[in-house]
Amino acid sequence: MIKNYGQRYTFPIMVWLTVFFVIPFSIILVGSFLEKGLYGGFEPAFSIEAYKALMSDTMRKVTLNTIFISVATTVLTVLLALPTAYHIARSPYKEKLLFLVIIPFWTNFLIRIFAWIAVLGNNGLVNNFFVNIGIFNSPVQLLYNKWAIILIMIYTSLPFAILPLYAVIEKFDFSLLEAARDLGATKSQSMFKILIPLILPGISTAVLFTFIPAFGNFAIPDIVGGTDVRMLGNIINERLKTARNWPSAAAISMILTTISVVMVLLFNRIISSKERKIGGNI
Amino acid sequence: MKDVLVRSHIKHRISGSFFWFTMLFFYAPLLVLIVFSFNEGRSMNFTGFSFKWYKVLFFDSAKLWGSFYNTLLIAVTSALVSTVIGTLGAIGIYWYNFKMKRYLEVVSYLPIILPEIIIGVSMLMFFAGMNMPLGLSTIIIAHITFNIPYVLLIVIARLSEFDYSIIEAAHDLGATEMDTLLKVIIPMCIPGILSGFLMAITLSVDDFVITFFVTGPGASTLPLHIYSMLRFGLSPAINALSVILIVGSLAMAFMSKKLFKHMFN
Amino acid sequence: MIGGTVKVHNVSKNFGTTQVLKDIKLEINAGEFFSLLGPSGCGKTTLLRIIAGFEIPTSGDILLDNESVINKAPNERHVNTIFQNYALFPHLTVFENVAFSLRLKKIDKNIIKSRVAEYVNLVRLQEHINKYPAQLSGGQRQRVSIARALINEPRVLLLDEPLSALDAKLRQDLLMELDRIHDIIGITFIYVTHDQEEAMSVSDRIAVMQEGNLLQVGTPFEIYESPADMFVADFIGASNNIEGKVIEVTENRAYIETPDIGRITVDLDKKLKASDHIKVTLRPEKIHISKKAPSLDSPKWNCISGKVDQMVYTGSHTRFIIKTEHGRVFKTFKQHAQYFTDEEPIQWEDNVYMWWHADDSFIVEVNGNR
Repeated sequence: MIKNYGQRYTFPIMVWLTVFFVIPFSIILVGSFLEKGLYGGFEPAFSIEAYKALMSDTMRKVTLNTIFISVATTVLTVLLALPTAYHIARSPYKEKLLFLVIIPFWTNFLIRIFAWIAVLGNNGLVNNFFVNIGIFNSPVQLLYNKWAIILIMIYTSLPFAILPLYAVIEKFDFSLLEAARDLGATKSQSMFKILIPLILPGISTAVLFTFIPAFGNFAIPDIVGGTDVRMLGNIINERLKTARNWPSAAAISMILTTISVVMVLLFNRIISSKERKIGGNI
Repeated sequence: MKDVLVRSHIKHRISGSFFWFTMLFFYAPLLVLIVFSFNEGRSMNFTGFSFKWYKVLFFDSAKLWGSFYNTLLIAVTSALVSTVIGTLGAIGIYWYNFKMKRYLEVVSYLPIILPEIIIGVSMLMFFAGMNMPLGLSTIIIAHITFNIPYVLLIVIARLSEFDYSIIEAAHDLGATEMDTLLKVIIPMCIPGILSGFLMAITLSVDDFVITFFVTGPGASTLPLHIYSMLRFGLSPAINALSVILIVGSLAMAFMSKKLFKHMFN
Repeated sequence: MIGGTVKVHNVSKNFGTTQVLKDIKLEINAGEFFSLLGPSGCGKTTLLRIIAGFEIPTSGDILLDNESVINKAPNERHVNTIFQNYALFPHLTVFENVAFSLRLKKIDKNIIKSRVAEYVNLVRLQEHINKYPAQLSGGQRQRVSIARALINEPRVLLLDEPLSALDAKLRQDLLMELDRIHDIIGITFIYVTHDQEEAMSVSDRIAVMQEGNLLQVGTPFEIYESPADMFVADFIGASNNIEGKVIEVTENRAYIETPDIGRITVDLDKKLKASDHIKVTLRPEKIHISKKAPSLDSPKWNCISGKVDQMVYTGSHTRFIIKTEHGRVFKTFKQHAQYFTDEEPIQWEDNVYMWWHADDSFIVEVNGNR
């Protein structure tokens, strides 16, 4: 009889993730209900002040900004990723084309942001070009607004959306589309009634992979958002490092966590119910 | 028939134009960086070809090289540790049932789905609470933590290609648990373990957000260095650095592709 | 090499609340090619895994060469297993796979080399000795796993549906190969399968199992010609089942009244008395069929008529389904032994006569008892 070695194999991971993930995470959870310490940290006294403060005008504006930016990013990314993934999956050179998508993923995240500063910045390529040929008198501020954040977020998340979509489209049986056409569907009917429903799990994954990093983003708005456009991630950083209001940082973190987990559970339901009905992995 | 061919041709042209638009979108900004890294002047007007900024980068950027060294140290250490922990965890989770398995599954899934900033903030508060001085060691701990789930997933994916009867066959042929682990399971999973390791290196080298929160005085990494250059004064040397990083990651990508082609055949 | 004996001593096995093996008693002789046959879920694989040591029985004992092995790990028992999906180590070559257990024992390299060569030759894979499993066909992979198991010189070789992943043609070839290897090596083979033809063609004895019960143990001939119950009769080959009530018992046969084909006569395979309720199996090949009424010389012949409901031409023979006037269907077939026959061929919807000898049916159950 074989002994059960599961516990031994998983001992290190169990200990590591408990100490360095579960305990730190519990600190946010508990800390969000405590009073703030004088120089950062927490005072061990129960308080829902941190959550109450989320109702302020500034916070409402930041929250709306965050939702707008992440929803717009998600919609545009998936719309661009779908035909791109479709083209790769149907191409005879799919491996090579897929590789072209993966290369940006290997390129450093900040370098990719920097590339856009070089293009769109006040002293960037576009401004220089238009000033030189005389269309602009002085550089136009192309960065430091919502749309710049959205553009760069699309840029950084696109590979993460293309890959899961490619995976489902590649496995899709295209003779189904021919069958639909054969049974009288138009081309767009066969796309929307056959292809899209069957690749829904991939679309859900792409949405998750885009939305969650966008919603909790800190770096992109920090670098190209300027002082006007701030997202929840920036406020967390501010409360943590400048305002030294840890309970508030913890409370906003809990909001981000809750929304991310709810999104994942929701989309997992879509994915698993789809897979249950259709049977197996599609 | 002809009609169908024409239509499908059109369909591919539509998706094709999206594809090439995406490629343009991906590569145009990177191309701009490459071109201007050879610019003689400081601005985004091309005034002449020069290797000037590469010289600055290689011979006049001690801080940058210091952070580069830190990045490598952090990446290799954290990737090694997370690969060992993640691989053993994958074997345990995939092939055995045990107490608290469900807990472990949830806990190793969460770090992947949560926004990075949550990991960063929670670890910062944890280290502060433990009175641990922030620096290289806290960065390494944080990187191991976020790398473990990825290694776990990749190795589990590899394990799922095999049936448990392989383990039974090894026992049947006289192997002890240790023999089975060292002579069957690990060699069998080498492609998965290696790609988990490479993934961990990549994530670690690339990580900015979590590192930003758990770093301390003197412990700069390449992404942190680039960030400070972006925030507090650009030097065209960053163009040159970008090109080197792009070329480096290209080489990594090609190497791993070659490697895996070889291993899977 | 001489094979070992295996005694399965009142073995039961529960998974949770379901009992998958119910008090199994079985003795397997040294050197036998023994099959465990049954539909999926009958417990045959569980029984094999208990003998191998991968499962522990809830109760009962396993004796290998009259010695209890129930407390021994798989690697301490002198048995080896051939797995359904081969379970070859993908990162090792054919040579390394076969050498695996000898290397664990730290045997001298030259000895390993010659031993591996010997067993690779036995399964005729000399040319492929340096290939990886991925480079082999399904049949070749299974042969590697056979060599890998046999090199340990086990007393008993356990085979868990070793051919089920292969296509029909290859299955036949490999089955003959197994038979050949069994003849050469001479150890005990315990072969698990759901395919009755496979079991019939190579086994010395077969155990038929269903829902955790052992229904019958016997030679292929015994199991086919005198099945222990209706399940065995139906599972092994095709069967026409006839039920009826005994009207009269004479010295050497009995007359049976059936609800659908009238009065028939059967040989006294079991003790009968009047008004017993019995079930009889009649194999399709025992039935003669013709469009002309036969002239039967003995009262031991039974003859009924019916209409051709379906016919399937298969080349060597034609299969018929005949419906009697009471709607009862009979399976039978006619060999195409001659190319030209004087007889007019039977067509669909023809009226035909079917007749069989009382000796050729078999009484399976009397009043519900085996």
